[in-house]
Amino acid sequence: FIGETEPMRVLVTGGSGLVGKAIEHVVKQEGGCLEGEQWTFLSSKEANLVDLQQTRAVFEKYRPTHVIHLAAKVGGLYLHMKENLHFLRDNLRINDNVLQTSHERGVTKVVSCLSSCIFPDKTTYPIDESMIHNGPPHDSNFGYSHAKRMIDIQNRGYFAQHGRRYTAVIPTNVYGPYDNFNFENGHVLSALMHKTYAAKKEGTPLQVWGSGTPRRQFIYSLDVARLFLWVLREYDEIDPIILSVGEEEELPIKDAVEMIADALDFKGQIVFDTSKSDGQMKKTASNAKLRRYLPDFTFTPLSEGIKKTCDWFVNNYDIART
Amino acid sequence: ARMGHNSPNLLWKITLNFTDLHVSKSLFSLLLPSPHFSVCVRAQMGDRKVDQNGPMRVLVTGGTGLVGRAIEHVVKEEGGAREGEEWIFLSSKDANLMDMGETRAVFQKHQPTHIIHLAAMVGGLFKNMRANLDFWRNNIYINDNVLQAAHEVDAVRVVSCLSTCIFPDKTTYPIDETMIHNGPPHESNYGYAYAKRMIDVHNRAYHQKHGRCYTAVIPTNVFGPHDNFNIEDGHVLPGLIHKAYIAQKEGSPLVVWGSGTPRRQFIYSLDLARLFLWVLREYHEVDPIILSVGEEDEVSIKEAAEAVVEALGFKGQVTYDTTKSDGQFKKTASNAKLLQHHPNFTFTPFKQALKQTCDWFVANYDNARK
Repeated sequence: FIGETEPMRVLVTGGSGLVGKAIEHVVKQEGGCLEGEQWTFLSSKEANLVDLQQTRAVFEKYRPTHVIHLAAKVGGLYLHMKENLHFLRDNLRINDNVLQTSHERGVTKVVSCLSSCIFPDKTTYPIDESMIHNGPPHDSNFGYSHAKRMIDIQNRGYFAQHGRRYTAVIPTNVYGPYDNFNFENGHVLSALMHKTYAAKKEGTPLQVWGSGTPRRQFIYSLDVARLFLWVLREYDEIDPIILSVGEEEELPIKDAVEMIADALDFKGQIVFDTSKSDGQMKKTASNAKLRRYLPDFTFTPLSEGIKKTCDWFVNNYDIART
Repeated sequence: ARMGHNSPNLLWKITLNFTDLHVSKSLFSLLLPSPHFSVCVRAQMGDRKVDQNGPMRVLVTGGTGLVGRAIEHVVKEEGGAREGEEWIFLSSKDANLMDMGETRAVFQKHQPTHIIHLAAMVGGLFKNMRANLDFWRNNIYINDNVLQAAHEVDAVRVVSCLSTCIFPDKTTYPIDETMIHNGPPHESNYGYAYAKRMIDVHNRAYHQKHGRCYTAVIPTNVFGPHDNFNIEDGHVLPGLIHKAYIAQKEGSPLVVWGSGTPRRQFIYSLDLARLFLWVLREYHEVDPIILSVGEEDEVSIKEAAEAVVEALGFKGQVTYDTTKSDGQFKKTASNAKLLQHHPNFTFTPFKQALKQTCDWFVANYDNARK
């Protein structure tokens, strides 16, 4: 296979997104990049990965030896509920185009990105890596979930038929700079940050959708990025690995709301609109596998990560995706 | 929509405009006890007004395969087609359905109102085990292309074809339609299984987004004339028939792969074809339906081998090569839903159907796929 004795040429699909930007930061500002390596951060402007020809063209241009595959059609709860068909079809295509093109070009390793929201809805807790396919996913995002699960199936197929060592990571809820802060389509923390910012400006109450009781494990995008680099270099399994803070770090949305209010110094009223869907009540994931490999990895504390993200958002409001 | 499901004496005929669909959905959920009952309503969508009372133009993908040929027989020889209907049987020569452009072109050409979607990359146990990736990729492409092309030409119905081999491996028995996604499939054919399961996911998504009534059937092991009788790649019964035929010719023993103990429900292709037509015309759920003989008709591979021996008049020795894989031990499926909807359907008795298949094979040996 190519790339085993020469320096890596890494292509990051979805390179301009939440996780892509975090990886870029780690690579360029934290010495994540080793001597001689080339790192390319792709965005959808450069290639529409739903289209096979465009995918092939961009792989031909950059000739990667390694791929970090983050590109996907994604969104928060409410967007998913409306667009299951779209999310299913487009993500199936993107993933097949990237994995097949990687295989055809002899890419040594592909690390794809799953999510803890794809796990079975009816399940015991904590969820672990062996449980991905053990039952249907939550109904709210079944399209996205099935498409993402198939990455794991493809990885196994590429290994069995062709010996490819393609694998995947499974982060829990990621947050950080460069997220999608849109009220309707963003994920919970980013949408809340934007709402709090707007409520503060306008002197209105902060309207939180749902009851605030569902529980989540949040992981800061820069921590995900640091772990992604470790997976790319050191993690040899085909089976995926959960990247998350521990189970004890799980907390209700309500608590996160309070941290955001603190970070943005919001003093107004907080209201919970219980007519809006809560989504899944919990998705508690185990990070035992990660801890076996990296017992000493330190996660950024949530209040600190939230503060950094809010500061970034306030300073970059004009360019942030809102 | 005609609802024979929970209230057989009620006949509702409701015609809705597209904009009324969301209001009416909540009306239906008041009327129907089951929250998961996805009913297909007749709706006018897009530019094309599909007249459900007009004659159908049915496109059958995979039309030259085992099930496609059986449907063709029922349509042409058993009066399965109604006045004014057009039935088109596609083969891979007409279009490579793994290619979106070719799929769209063939759908645009024929403008079907209904589709029976049988086309797939298929094979027996040993072929699947060698190529799970290819089975997954090729079938995902075929299915996505066909369903999307059907949607684009405003087809009112697509009936796709799943299989009981896609159900979870670790499961309680009998398997029923609600259990498809309840766990990983058997390791031997996970590629094919996941790709077929995705049809059900697509159907639900098309229904949720566009109100489409695209559905699927789930047959157990199908057999009959026009099957693939290739010994390496074919399914168990045609493989056995071909082997027994050769063993008889050469005066050698019939070597059955595996221990002979795994159990299967076999359904004759002509029975399946008759049921397919019933589903196309009368079955209005998005959730799939198992098409199978009852649990009590499950037989072991050994019993099936003995029935083949009897049908061909094979007099030689029968041995079992236990070094070869058995595949799944059982996949017992419940046909309770079918019986509930269609209580009077009669299946062809196994031995009779097997005899007809063997006779066909012997008479058509030169042309048979092997």
